[in-house]
Amino acid sequence: MEPMDTQIGEMTSQDTQQESVSTPVATPTGRPERRKKPRIRETPPAPVPPPHLDEYKSIVGQPYIDELRYLADALKGKRVKMVNSTAVGGGVAEMLNQMVPLLNEVEVKTGWDVITGGNDFFEVTKAFHNALQGSDYKLSQQARDIFMMHNNLNRQRMEFNEDFIVIHDPQPAALIQSRQQPGQHWVWRCHIDLSNPNPEVWGFLQPFIEQYDAAIFSSQSFTRQLRIPQYLFYPCIDPLSEKNKELDDSFVQKVCDEFGVDRSRPIVTQVSRFDRAKDPVGVIQAFKQARKYVDCQLVMAGGGASDDPEGAAVLKEVNAAADDDPDIIILDLPPWCALEINALQRASTLVVQKSIREGFGLTVTEALWKGKPTIAGAVGGIPNQIIHKLTGVLVHSVDGCAYQIRYLLTHPEFAQRLGHNGREHVKENFLMTTNVRRWLLLFRILLGAQTS
Amino acid sequence: MTAAMAPTLTHTAVKPFYFNTSAHLMRITRQKATTLGEFLQALQECPENSIFQHTFRTLQEHHFIREGFSNDFAHWVLSACNEPGLAEALASVDVREFTSVADLRARFVEIVGNFLAPSPATAARGARETFYFCASDIVVIPTNFVAHSLREFAEGLRGVSVHSLHHHFIEARLRLKLMSNDFSQWLLEDLGLPDAARHLNRIDIYTATMENVRQQIIGIVERALV
Repeated sequence: MEPMDTQIGEMTSQDTQQESVSTPVATPTGRPERRKKPRIRETPPAPVPPPHLDEYKSIVGQPYIDELRYLADALKGKRVKMVNSTAVGGGVAEMLNQMVPLLNEVEVKTGWDVITGGNDFFEVTKAFHNALQGSDYKLSQQARDIFMMHNNLNRQRMEFNEDFIVIHDPQPAALIQSRQQPGQHWVWRCHIDLSNPNPEVWGFLQPFIEQYDAAIFSSQSFTRQLRIPQYLFYPCIDPLSEKNKELDDSFVQKVCDEFGVDRSRPIVTQVSRFDRAKDPVGVIQAFKQARKYVDCQLVMAGGGASDDPEGAAVLKEVNAAADDDPDIIILDLPPWCALEINALQRASTLVVQKSIREGFGLTVTEALWKGKPTIAGAVGGIPNQIIHKLTGVLVHSVDGCAYQIRYLLTHPEFAQRLGHNGREHVKENFLMTTNVRRWLLLFRILLGAQTS
Repeated sequence: MTAAMAPTLTHTAVKPFYFNTSAHLMRITRQKATTLGEFLQALQECPENSIFQHTFRTLQEHHFIREGFSNDFAHWVLSACNEPGLAEALASVDVREFTSVADLRARFVEIVGNFLAPSPATAARGARETFYFCASDIVVIPTNFVAHSLREFAEGLRGVSVHSLHHHFIEARLRLKLMSNDFSQWLLEDLGLPDAARHLNRIDIYTATMENVRQQIIGIVERALV
């Protein structure tokens, strides 16, 4: 097969409208030939500017945008400061990059500050992060001192004059000690699962957390018993981002051609890092069981193998389990291949996320948003997204996953209904605009707006 | 002449209808249940807006499901406790038959209590997943739609969000303390259309999506326009 003129990763949204449909090159067996090394961009593309609120109108409707503007009206002139521990990389920074401009657009003046700290601080907070999610850890006095020293240095460096201060995650939690102004509202936004924390670390942090006016969690099951009100803010996706926006079918075809995915046959896809928590080997086993009865291909698209030794080991296990099966397409993609991931999800007949441990599971949200019938492990935040047999199906084993692949591939009407419901569920609960509304509501409620 | 005597599409209503909507923020309460026994106790102790969240509000959240999503309690009892009989009884509780959350709570407590009474061991059996009682904090929001006539009312019905429909058509009975809704009340009292008001109140919200309910309401209003 001749190389294509355009590298997949170089395509822009405009290109996707202009690309012509490529036809897969047929081999003597009738299958399209798989490229040995699909060409993808080696460096990240320039960041895309965040969308304006009105650009969401076609997705959520004018009444929804009007509601946001009405909620924001009562907050005009109020100021918000968001504080987290990193400006780039990770889901929190990504979310703030999108959320802060939208809040400013509705004239709720929102700033974003990032705490500083040395390697010692971030080693301690990394250990805290893992310990709060259940890892073994012995909290030393030295770790406490490092945590407090850097929080105090940041308190000296930063000013807290805003009406609302929102602190994200445990790293800057002790900044609450700078609370002075009467009438100021401090909110702790916890993005991690606190359902089974290391008691020493939680015991150290809890007194800080209970000085806030409210805490926010990503799932009911991630919470602790606290003396302050706790709110539920689901993580969200941006429907206009490269990962989730509508794509021209010619672009989807081009990506499939490049990666050797045959769109004339059913496609089962799992998108996730090569991580044992995502049970990629279990997915291959389930696929092989299902394929005894239904024709299909499996796409395993992920990353993390190049910069993470464990990821590389998992990828090796995945390749061994695939055993050169021509119907299993394993793609180790860099994190900036959002358009390609989007295209693969859109080309899929079914999406699987057979995690055995999970945070919220935004890859499930992405699949549901694309109207894909989705099979997922009943762990972490996934049951918030998948209502069994209504917005997708939940599974607990390899055998269960295999059965559901067979069932959904042979019952397309049911699968289509799940996909439709799944998309509506995301529209209702897990879009960026929903979270803008949640923030505006929370600020109004903290100000004492009339609620019933 | 009063509006009640001879309403037509051009007649002005006695009072205009202001379409509002409501925005909800979900709060996680202290109550949770890992067994049916704990569930019963939490049902008795949770705040009223927790009962509201898991019945009225969840119906709104799942407005797009045609397959009969009723309330969170029934769903949990089926999916996490594997008790289809109890789930069926809980699912068949129709929120429209209640004009107070206290009465609605009493009905759920009665159903679960009656189920557990003959088999106390069932109350202690662990559920597959924990049920977390949440609650809704609500802010009412006006929309840009105001109806002075039946024609403007139909336009408003087409233009507002499904959440506005839910606010007026389903949640309204808790405000009105009547077995009715804001739309029917306005058609009856301000436009004198008792038949349309009655027909609207008979729409089945459990076997249709909210978009489908919207179409049914518009259909009744359009027939009244003729």
